[in-house]
Amino acid sequence: MSRLPLHGVRVADFTWIGAGSFTTKLLADHGADVIKIESRGRMDSLRSSRPYKDGVPGINRSGYFADRNSSKRSITLNLKTQAGKDLARRLIATSDIVANNFTPGTMEKFGLGYHDVREIKKDIIYIAMSMQGAAGPEHKYLGYGLTMGALTGLQFLSGLPDHEPAGTGTNFSDHIPNPCHAAFAILAALRHRRLTGEGQYIDVAQTEPTIALLGPTMADCSANDHIQERSGNERAPRAPHGVFQCTGNDRWIAISAWQDESWAALCKVLGDPPFARAPEFRSAEGRWTRRREIEEGIASIVRYWEAEALMSALQRAGVASGVARTAADIVDEDPQLRHRRHWVKLEHPEMGESIYNAPPFRISGMRSTPVAPAPMLGQHTDEVLTEILGLNPAEVEDLRQGDVLT
Amino acid sequence: MYNSPTRGGADKAVTPWISSVPTPGEKPSALSGISVLDMSGSAGQYCGKQFADLGADVILVEPVTGSPVRREGPFLDDRPHIEYSLQFAYFNAGKRSIAIDLDRESGRRILRELAKDADLVIESERPGTLDARGLDYRSLSALNPGLVMTSVTPFGQTGPYAFYEAEDIVALALGGLLYLGGYPETSPIAAHGNQAYLAAAQFASVASMMALLSADDGGKRAGRHVDVSIQECVTMGLETAIQYYDLEKTVRKRASGQQVMAGVGVFDCLDGQIYLMAGGIASTRFWENMVNWLVDEGVGEARQLLEPAWQNHDYLATAKAKSIFEGLFAPFARRHAKTYLYQSGQARRIPICPINTPRDILASRQLDYRGFFVSQEHTVSGRRLVVPGAPYRLEATPWRQARPAPRLGEHTSEILAGLGYEPTARAALLKSGVIN
Repeated sequence: MSRLPLHGVRVADFTWIGAGSFTTKLLADHGADVIKIESRGRMDSLRSSRPYKDGVPGINRSGYFADRNSSKRSITLNLKTQAGKDLARRLIATSDIVANNFTPGTMEKFGLGYHDVREIKKDIIYIAMSMQGAAGPEHKYLGYGLTMGALTGLQFLSGLPDHEPAGTGTNFSDHIPNPCHAAFAILAALRHRRLTGEGQYIDVAQTEPTIALLGPTMADCSANDHIQERSGNERAPRAPHGVFQCTGNDRWIAISAWQDESWAALCKVLGDPPFARAPEFRSAEGRWTRRREIEEGIASIVRYWEAEALMSALQRAGVASGVARTAADIVDEDPQLRHRRHWVKLEHPEMGESIYNAPPFRISGMRSTPVAPAPMLGQHTDEVLTEILGLNPAEVEDLRQGDVLT
Repeated sequence: MYNSPTRGGADKAVTPWISSVPTPGEKPSALSGISVLDMSGSAGQYCGKQFADLGADVILVEPVTGSPVRREGPFLDDRPHIEYSLQFAYFNAGKRSIAIDLDRESGRRILRELAKDADLVIESERPGTLDARGLDYRSLSALNPGLVMTSVTPFGQTGPYAFYEAEDIVALALGGLLYLGGYPETSPIAAHGNQAYLAAAQFASVASMMALLSADDGGKRAGRHVDVSIQECVTMGLETAIQYYDLEKTVRKRASGQQVMAGVGVFDCLDGQIYLMAGGIASTRFWENMVNWLVDEGVGEARQLLEPAWQNHDYLATAKAKSIFEGLFAPFARRHAKTYLYQSGQARRIPICPINTPRDILASRQLDYRGFFVSQEHTVSGRRLVVPGAPYRLEATPWRQARPAPRLGEHTSEILAGLGYEPTARAALLKSGVIN
């Protein structure tokens, strides 16, 4: 196995809550030494967000926090004190990357804006991931994952046309678009620095990556003057294409059999039902025109099938189909994710054994995976101050007495 | 477990790639000098775009009949034609196109010659397809030991589902995100816009960069095969669902269409809907601001929301609290437009925002200030398309779009000439249908 790609890279990590922490997790799981700078006075609110181990609240018990912070170290610094700021600056001087996702102005208030940091470490890669970017008429507006879903159009566009906008049911931008875009930008900047010695400032507005993914929908509006609407599970010109209820409690299967071959294969698995024999249904256009009728016909048969059995039968026949897996199915049953060892169990000092996401890809010859559970608040303060900043235990104790390490 | 403390901050140039020299006065591109072959379809083309927009030379390798993405809508002027797909135009801007028939040996030879000089190949064929053509990772890395090949498939290269058929909605289903979307009384509902494919493309970009940045101890880049599973990428978007199950043994379900708690949810307004998040995370910070806003706007009865009970999350989640809140807030919201509610609520530090339509987004004053949307040429029609621009701003190495999406095979001749094919040889390949 080779050294991980970010071995030797240090990140002074001021991120918190969702998107920022997930970005630095990607770096940490690939070998970077990510030091999360926290404080008891202004704690990462995910530390006090459900779910908790055994349902018992505690700042070191949140699964929401834990999964986003694997393989990192945590130190607590009181940035309201001059000594706290000095320690942060000294840590930055040994770092390659500084990351934060505060509202613009917050890091500057601590004397840790890009221009301050550049004075300390000329070639630093500094990433700021605020909600709406570093400047502009709305750059200081408040936002969270869910308000972002609304701002980016994803909420308006997902759901049923006659129901209120649904979105994905999660803070989607926080988990995939923003961390992936931010990590890619950091890695590109790291490449540039390795070649030229030049660091740089990166500004990611947390609304923009998701809107970038909706490019075709935006172009449909700007070029064709067509505002796309929510369309449930319909995807023109595909029919049948939908989600159908099976036997059991809230069990569903997604089926897409819009091409001639897969439509024929679907009919065969369903027992060549009379409704499917209309001559118009032999063409994709005919199926699209009468999609309601076809999908009702499929629903009337699928409701007697067990979802997993139907998926196996359909997949044997070459029909794209998948059970709408619940979290329980995914953790306990899915043989493919098990084969890929996606879920990693790590022993946490307070939570015991709990589950983490591994990166969703494999790089040959390399084992990039969570190596350590999320840190307890301030778990590595002493270690980082002594090993990296060279303080002796007596000095650390003085700082602690002076309310600098809280 | 951690890197040795002395190493941090000393990340060194270990990757001896050629960097193209920028013209004086122009900022360099972060990925210039990287050569990419993008052989992928819907699940990979955004990855190629991310590389192209930061300066890599990306060649889109298409079948002679064109990439399947060219047949995906929406189409410019609703014209279903391979040069009018807006989906293709957006995801392939900045790339060059070569059209080759890889079912013919003379076509495969061209691909191998291109791969010899490439840093990265992105592909999304079913596992085994490229092996059958002698174009798999093992074969290509024999020609180019430093090559990174990123394979994006529904379930990964091996395993019990490796040969399962999937489309976006199937990957969303098996990845667990489908189950979280939609309303309790309806079927689960998939997210708009191929989010499973796009999740895979985004992780493919990250993984490819990780592989490109990795070097063995001799400082020379080792070849890598990157195996991206679309299903697995979807599981990264499940938020807390896995942890709720793991830690509290509760299975999260779809819950749209209802107020989660008083102060959180979708509300109708004069010209659409707004999303309010005044309860929930850190609610206590915003609650009073919101009550004062309502009172100042003439909803005097809102004062009751300052009573201590409203600081309690459990109370906010009761039907009674939700109904009282709705009775006060909903009539107020219905009297005003999205923009008014957004700007005046935010001015009072309340997390509220419009549920934007694509048109609202195109008109956003914040995005306009940032110059987010860019105008992209559509070569065949001569029109200009307004599309999203930089999703990140790298100050020293800016995002830029060098060229519009290519016409089918627009650069075939140029690229073959670069490989040393003489005009007569190119004409013969064209005549026999090996290239387009």
